[in-house]
Amino acid sequence: MLVFRKPLENIERPQMPADVVIVGGGPAGMACALRLSQLVDEHNSRNPDAQLSKENIYVLEKAREVGQHCLSGALLDPRSMRELLPGFEKEAPLDAEVTKEAVYFLTEKSKFKLPITPPPLRDHGNYVISLNRFVKWLGSKVEETGITIFTGFAGSDLLFDGARVTGVRTDDKGVDKLNQPKSNFEPGYDLQAKVVILAEGTRGSLTKQLITKFDLAKDSNPQTYGQGIKELWEVPSNRIAPGEVIYTMGWPLTTKEYGGAWIYGGKDNIVSLGFVTGLDYADPRLDPQRVLQDFKQHPFVVKLLEGGKMIRYGAKSLPYGGWWAIPPVAGDGWMILGDSAGFLNSQRLKGIHLAIKSGMLAAETAFEALRKDDSSAATLGRFQKKVESSWIKDELWKVRNFHQGFEHGFFAGLFHAGIQQLTGGRGLRNRYAGTAGHQRMKKLAELPAAGGNEAHLLGPAKGDGKLTFDKLTDLYHSGTKHEEDQPTHLVIHDTNICNTRCVKEFGSPCQNFCPANVYEMVDDSEQPNGKRISLNPSNCVHCKTCDIADPYQIITWVPPEGGGGPNYDGM
Amino acid sequence: MKILVCMKQVPQKDAPLKLNESGAWIREDVSYEVNEPDAYALEEALRQKEKHGGEVVVITSGPARAQQVLREALAKGADRAIHLEDNAFVGLDVLNTARAFASAIKDETFDLIFTGLQSDDYGYAQTGVVLAELLGWPHATIIMQIEKSDAGIRVKRELEAGYFQFVDMPLPAVLTIQSGINKLRYATLIGIKQAKNKPLRKVTMAEVQSAVSGNLQKIERLYVPQKTKNTEFLEGSAGEVAKKLVDKLRNEVRVL
Amino acid sequence: MPDTILVVVEQREGKLNRVSWETLAAGQALAAETGWTLEAAVVGSGVANFANEVAAKKVSKVYAVESPKLEPYTPDAFSAALKQFIESKQPKLVLMPHTYQVRDFVPKLATAMGRTAISDCIGYKKEGGKLLFTRQMFQGKLAADVSFTCDAPWFVAFQNGAFRGDKAEAGASAAPVETVNVQIADGVIRNKPQEVFKEAKQAVDLTQAEIIVCIGRGIKEQKNIELAKQLAEALGGELAASRPICDSGWLPMDRQIGSSGQTVAPKLYLALGISGAIQHIVGMKGSRTIIAINKDSEAPIFEIADYAVVGNLFDVVPPLIEEVKKAKAGP
Repeated sequence: MLVFRKPLENIERPQMPADVVIVGGGPAGMACALRLSQLVDEHNSRNPDAQLSKENIYVLEKAREVGQHCLSGALLDPRSMRELLPGFEKEAPLDAEVTKEAVYFLTEKSKFKLPITPPPLRDHGNYVISLNRFVKWLGSKVEETGITIFTGFAGSDLLFDGARVTGVRTDDKGVDKLNQPKSNFEPGYDLQAKVVILAEGTRGSLTKQLITKFDLAKDSNPQTYGQGIKELWEVPSNRIAPGEVIYTMGWPLTTKEYGGAWIYGGKDNIVSLGFVTGLDYADPRLDPQRVLQDFKQHPFVVKLLEGGKMIRYGAKSLPYGGWWAIPPVAGDGWMILGDSAGFLNSQRLKGIHLAIKSGMLAAETAFEALRKDDSSAATLGRFQKKVESSWIKDELWKVRNFHQGFEHGFFAGLFHAGIQQLTGGRGLRNRYAGTAGHQRMKKLAELPAAGGNEAHLLGPAKGDGKLTFDKLTDLYHSGTKHEEDQPTHLVIHDTNICNTRCVKEFGSPCQNFCPANVYEMVDDSEQPNGKRISLNPSNCVHCKTCDIADPYQIITWVPPEGGGGPNYDGM
Repeated sequence: MKILVCMKQVPQKDAPLKLNESGAWIREDVSYEVNEPDAYALEEALRQKEKHGGEVVVITSGPARAQQVLREALAKGADRAIHLEDNAFVGLDVLNTARAFASAIKDETFDLIFTGLQSDDYGYAQTGVVLAELLGWPHATIIMQIEKSDAGIRVKRELEAGYFQFVDMPLPAVLTIQSGINKLRYATLIGIKQAKNKPLRKVTMAEVQSAVSGNLQKIERLYVPQKTKNTEFLEGSAGEVAKKLVDKLRNEVRVL
Repeated sequence: MPDTILVVVEQREGKLNRVSWETLAAGQALAAETGWTLEAAVVGSGVANFANEVAAKKVSKVYAVESPKLEPYTPDAFSAALKQFIESKQPKLVLMPHTYQVRDFVPKLATAMGRTAISDCIGYKKEGGKLLFTRQMFQGKLAADVSFTCDAPWFVAFQNGAFRGDKAEAGASAAPVETVNVQIADGVIRNKPQEVFKEAKQAVDLTQAEIIVCIGRGIKEQKNIELAKQLAEALGGELAASRPICDSGWLPMDRQIGSSGQTVAPKLYLALGISGAIQHIVGMKGSRTIIAINKDSEAPIFEIADYAVVGNLFDVVPPLIEEVKKAKAGP
């Protein structure tokens, strides 16, 4: 029996007043907290008689430890960090400066190096980092300044008063599988906040609540996403230099799918490698984790990894939609930052620096709001203006139509990209429309039974246990753990659709697009198609793919009990 | 009741462990968490405080990272914390660790000292008992239940094979607490905020140096247990296989 | 005077604890390797019978360490008694079985004598002139070889099953038995233990089980668990399960073994219908002997099994239960 997580009703909740609540302790949230602290400190030193307090500024982080849920390749463009903390390079944990980049086009057995690395993929001056370690360090700086980071607490609901966001409700703890309080039950707190800043990362759940409630996205393109699957490997020496960056396109994907791989050389013979698959592929049987395993079998990857050991696995979605898919980012009592808003440069495949910059601009806005004690839409709306007049806009404007150009295939995408490059991002028209990825998934009836050209991408990977792995083995290396006795946090609004329609129309793609084996169709003679949806919620790695890619859009991902999730140590 | 809870920070249960250069311990770069049995000891102490009033103090020894364990305990409701913070504490054997603790608390007057059943890394289950002897206090191990009595306390001890025993003891006493006897409480937001202002006393090695001596035992080496795994496949009909298995169970495994 | 190894056997409620034979076997093995003399002691009140039982084995001498205050067991009395005794006899090495009772007093005894104990050992090594004792660390993930860096007496407690009790050799003739009366002053004993009683355990602690029968998806239906239960009972072990079984609610969570359940390292682990996904393996790979029964010859569990049966568990388990019962009943 599936019981879904829902905040308990008709109970008394502890109330806690707050000045600013930042939901999410990733790069955007931490940069925001740090910048806000800097501004408050500056103000206080100049105004000893009119001090502002940092006591009521909070960061809510659902992971047990700061950085635990942060996953990215990653390459950091230091531009915004240099603004936030000049000289940061001396103390931040940076793996290596990028020394060498190459872009390859792959076929099954060979590779063709692009003679010139396209300018957007030139990474000189950037750093290979572990986002997990970087955010841990950033978090320690935030704590040093006296701002409280509550780890193990998720923002489960927004609090509203008419058109105003008045606060955040944290997760109910100690609720059993049937959503009943256990003996150690602790109700979620209602944090009554003057300013709520949503920095939840990709496909934020509170962000989704906000956008839905106020129909914020009505004038924007639908947000589109990719799924990044990553493995961290320890390889024998001299296989790849620290700071060496490789991108690939082509095999194993066909011209119809969007995506590609990255390989970054870190220090101590650690290699970050992964594959991003656009979540707008046609065949519901496609399994992104399988795609990564296929990729690893390319001869040049085999040579790189041979004799090495896979030490960590993870997956996360990333918002590709670009400038036109960003909804309004500020309103009455709220602001949205980073990946939650969609500040990601899909052409450069970078978003961390934009997340950090957005955090800084939001901090400046929040500071003004605190100083004036006014967090109305007018004051917070300044954030929108700041973004639009900052280099965030400059950068994203130039790539505003990049991803949409690929909606008709690889070569069309390259064509459009080329024109966009020459026209400051415009391409053939100022704004290219976009389609939500899940709408491009085709029904099985419309596809060749054996999969056609995509056959090698479909279905689960078997894995040889050394170079390639089946999903369950890979999943073990994500360190994912949750309190077992809690309601299911993958809220399926109508499981009948799973059991009666989806199983026939799409063949239950959740089993394929989930990188964590959360979804399973099990035998059940009482169901019309002999199968029933069954969930393993404690496997979840919080990637949000199901919320994004489900063709019926009946899955809502809500945060499980705080403290649970993957452990992306070193990722 | 004034209760001291001894807590330890250990590598996370599923952390990949690597040997350090000396081969006598593991590398530090893993994730850490509170030793789970100690979390149960803390929970029991907090419940005793709720029932009888008093104070709960938590103590740990270890590098700076171990402070996290104390912070979490304070957030859950402990009143004070003591941190024997010094890298030199890491290599101490069980006797010297207990000596350091005894020295750090020599000016305190506790009624009870709790420890967890054993640590998830060493698994010795000795620290509490050693500490009791050093302090000259009575002790009892693997305790499931504690109740106040006229003469002190009555505890329920777990024995092997499903047996139990009540023991009457005077105070002060040291108890090692069985895991799983209670549901662990969550720290609340208010608890975490308040924890920041609760007293945390740091103790250096110099302060307890006189109580401590050289180690009496030493880990010569740490290694991955080599299982020379020769899987023996047993073949035959079901009946034959059953007989073969029993033969193994009796002669090789020695459980029959 | 040659060095002595003293084995302290355990008696409880009128019976000699069987693990004591294992400790004696360990003592005999060590004596053979070191050339030291082997002696044994029983501690309690009116324990002459036990001393005689032990004297039938190959030991040089057996002591009955007596005091009426040693019954019932208290850590204060046992520690005081053994301290007195050991100070007078000065053995080099003191061996005990790592039982709940020994855990309760040996750290106290060692500390009272200014010494230390290496407990829960699974074996020993002799390297050059040094004795090293091996124990599991990090819940069986790693092993450690530990040495004493202090003077004797050295206290060592061996884990159940580390040695074979049936290998404890009988002596050519009965060893001499000496009664040693120890004085335990008034006021030494502070604990007042009540009668021991049995109670249905609220939750099962799989980590303490010596034998575990674990079922996986291969059990197919809930009603088939009965079969596994019978096997567990016949063997005197505990029933456990891999994650999917507990997720379906067929067995409670506290019977789950794996990365999201318990980590165990019992003497015997019998895996029925378990494929061996890594999430499960990490919870039990420290088991001393692993027997796996699975239909699928490629099941990863076979990679870590000591004894493997590729077959249908429903065919193999019923006759297995019968054979086990026969073996236990027989001579």
